[in-house]
Amino acid sequence: MGLRKKNSVNRRDFLKNVAAGAAVMATPAAASPSPVPITGTPGAISISAEEELRTLSPAEILTTERTGSDFMVDVIKSLDIDYVCANPGSSFRGLHESIVNYGGNRSPEFITCCHEESSVGMGHGYAKIAGKPLLVMAHGTVGLQHAAMAVYNAYCDRVPIVIIAGNILDATRRISQVEWSHSVQDAASILRDYVKWDDLPISLPHFAESAVRAYKIAMTPPMMPVLLIVDGELQENPIASDATLRVPKLTPTAPPQGDSGAVDEAARLLVAAENPVLITGRAARTPAGMTYLLELAETLQIPVIDQMDRMNFPTRHPLNQNERSRELISGADVILGLEVNDFWGAVHSFRDQMERTSRPIARPDAKTISINSANLSVKSNYQNFQRYAEVDVDIPADAEATLPALTEAVKRHMDASRKNTFAGRRARFAEAHDQSLQRARDAASYAWDASPVSTARLSAEIWAQIKNEDWSLVSTVTFVNRWPHRLWAFDKHHHYIGNAGGYGIGYNAPASIGAALANRAHGRLSVNIQCDGDLMYAPGVLWTAAHHRIPLLTVMHNNRAYHQEVMQVQIMANRHSRGIDRANIGTTLSDPPIDYAKLAQSMGVYAEGPISDPKDLGPAITRAIQVVKRGEPALIDVLTQPR
Amino acid sequence: MTGVTVTMFNTFLIVALASASILVPSQPSAAPPGGNSQNGKKVFEKLGCFRCHGSAGEGMPQTGKESAPPKIAATHRSLEDFVRYVRAPKGQMPPFSPAQATDDQLSDVYAFLQTVASQPKIELPSSANPQSGQRLYSAFGCYECHGLQGQGSTQTGGPRIGPPQIPFSGFVAYVREPANQMPPYTSKAVSDAQLADMYVFLQTRPQALPSKNIPLLNQ
Repeated sequence: MGLRKKNSVNRRDFLKNVAAGAAVMATPAAASPSPVPITGTPGAISISAEEELRTLSPAEILTTERTGSDFMVDVIKSLDIDYVCANPGSSFRGLHESIVNYGGNRSPEFITCCHEESSVGMGHGYAKIAGKPLLVMAHGTVGLQHAAMAVYNAYCDRVPIVIIAGNILDATRRISQVEWSHSVQDAASILRDYVKWDDLPISLPHFAESAVRAYKIAMTPPMMPVLLIVDGELQENPIASDATLRVPKLTPTAPPQGDSGAVDEAARLLVAAENPVLITGRAARTPAGMTYLLELAETLQIPVIDQMDRMNFPTRHPLNQNERSRELISGADVILGLEVNDFWGAVHSFRDQMERTSRPIARPDAKTISINSANLSVKSNYQNFQRYAEVDVDIPADAEATLPALTEAVKRHMDASRKNTFAGRRARFAEAHDQSLQRARDAASYAWDASPVSTARLSAEIWAQIKNEDWSLVSTVTFVNRWPHRLWAFDKHHHYIGNAGGYGIGYNAPASIGAALANRAHGRLSVNIQCDGDLMYAPGVLWTAAHHRIPLLTVMHNNRAYHQEVMQVQIMANRHSRGIDRANIGTTLSDPPIDYAKLAQSMGVYAEGPISDPKDLGPAITRAIQVVKRGEPALIDVLTQPR
Repeated sequence: MTGVTVTMFNTFLIVALASASILVPSQPSAAPPGGNSQNGKKVFEKLGCFRCHGSAGEGMPQTGKESAPPKIAATHRSLEDFVRYVRAPKGQMPPFSPAQATDDQLSDVYAFLQTVASQPKIELPSSANPQSGQRLYSAFGCYECHGLQGQGSTQTGGPRIGPPQIPFSGFVAYVREPANQMPPYTSKAVSDAQLADMYVFLQTRPQALPSKNIPLLNQ
């Protein structure tokens, strides 16, 4: 299948058309096919095609001034894309060169990565801070294969990333066995199950429309990665002089808001409830989402269980009842879920024994309401859509866009009596919140001076030194017992970015650097609590941080294991009553010990450690922050308790 | 390896010592328990009652000024009083709503508590060795969920066990037939003597400083 259309030409067609340079015409027809310099502007010389062909044949035209990839850069620039993350690949060499030279390596700027998983992971973290996607480029074959896990994470986490993959579709144009190995009939097939949309544009106008369409689709909740397969010939062929190319207008799509009748019913239930609970996962896509959620919670004086897939609700707010989720859900008469990834799981408990069992924890008469944009884009193969939740009011819509209407409806349903009732709740929740905080502090005091360092101590030491800065925690907290959420005061949207989404390990290191890249524009202090096992997937991203001077404080949670899997193997050994002392085999990273400070230093990152005495941690963090404030990454390796 | 299991756990049950006055036998029950004691044992474990009261409801010995969870095995309270107290307890014991445990389930727990007193009690041997216990605690993977110091972990669901908060007999009973997510440690895999070593190791773990005395925990 040829890709040549009227707006682009291949190298041979080029000779038949008009866009030749003046010097070419001077070449004698019988001259040897040695390289011919081309000067001048395409189309500047008037000459008939027949005359040109007679004059030039069989000389080669080896240079040109404007190719399809230049126009692609025009399109990309129109999308306000600041960065392109990639490690180089020949199938997108045309676009690579156009970004660097034609585009001036600005908006987008090329970020050199060492693995496609790192490229996508950086885009994942970047989008959650910047609120918009960056561009990732990769080979359509081996590149997308490397990128796949990270794309799946972003898909599950509802994060927009624009991916362009190169390919050489025309078999007769593949120039080597390498290109044959790097070519594919349907390049998008490897990601199609977990991108929101993909396309294979076969002309430059097609590319322009598809690129703008892809961006719109990616940015419409539920946000997800999108993929364009862009053929090498389309990138590299010159643009015909008579080409009429234009960049389509980008009009952002309004996020889908909930049906007004359903929203009103939800409000009625919430106002009438005596013990309502609000559970949120990704409700706050933007800082405005936090404001909307606060207003709803305070209007109802409803306790909030924040599952922290995004920064939704301040951790020190009296209505934040994260530590009491089971108790509150089990006693609730109305449960409102806002972009909850697994509503069924939120109202059930599981038991992982010989027989896998579950049981409801919510009251059987509890009314459940779900507002979730995930229902607007569901695919079949991968099962991240979770178990079917039997909710009473199901609103397939973007929670952030729906919250203002829901709050207004709640206010309409409230009378003076209900207002008094709601006001009476606050003191009770405030007291419970304070007790939860105190319990967390008491729990943190155990193993306080232990070596290896406790994850509570590690978190408290970091907090002591960042609390007065404009900070941003750009790593997940699951593996450190959520201590930051339990001990720190989170109250801004950029204070936290959630987790991988698809639980794919290898997310944290690149995502934290991508988020730090976005935070750099705001002068924020980005902080990453980095698991050792995660970093070992693709540690080359540390070099990317050093090379591009991305300021980021990384504190290693170096427990020397894929600890979750240690526990999984332990479960199996105990179940079989054999070898209960052998769960370390195949799960630990301790022999030989990995020196993460040296690893980081080898890639140009300031680093210290390993630190095993908790008393040494504070001063090391102080020194590292000084480096980060100079605009560079720094890493502190800390030997830690397993969790 | 890219999978991560997120454990769900009764965090609110990890709480707290109950008031010393609760459920202490006061007067003989007016009526014999009519519940199913076998189901009662399951409910007792699922609700996490064992965490404070021990796997046999034997309670915890009082240490220092803190009140300790009392013995509730063979309670002489009436079933009605028992249910009423569980719904609205005093002290630090958390309340259990009908959504968490129905009256019938509490009746089963009550029946279970009437039977456990007759079960043989496992004594902590004086020969138990904390050094051996420390080695076994690590080798047998206890640290994986409970931390190297027994400090516990919300992410794994393993509660704080150092120093132990339940008596040795309850400790043994629980590791043999654990509730929730903990994998069972059968007598084929670990002996009572080895569990005793681990128990005394955990007893040697220091009590934490009061958090109010740690500046970094008061930020």
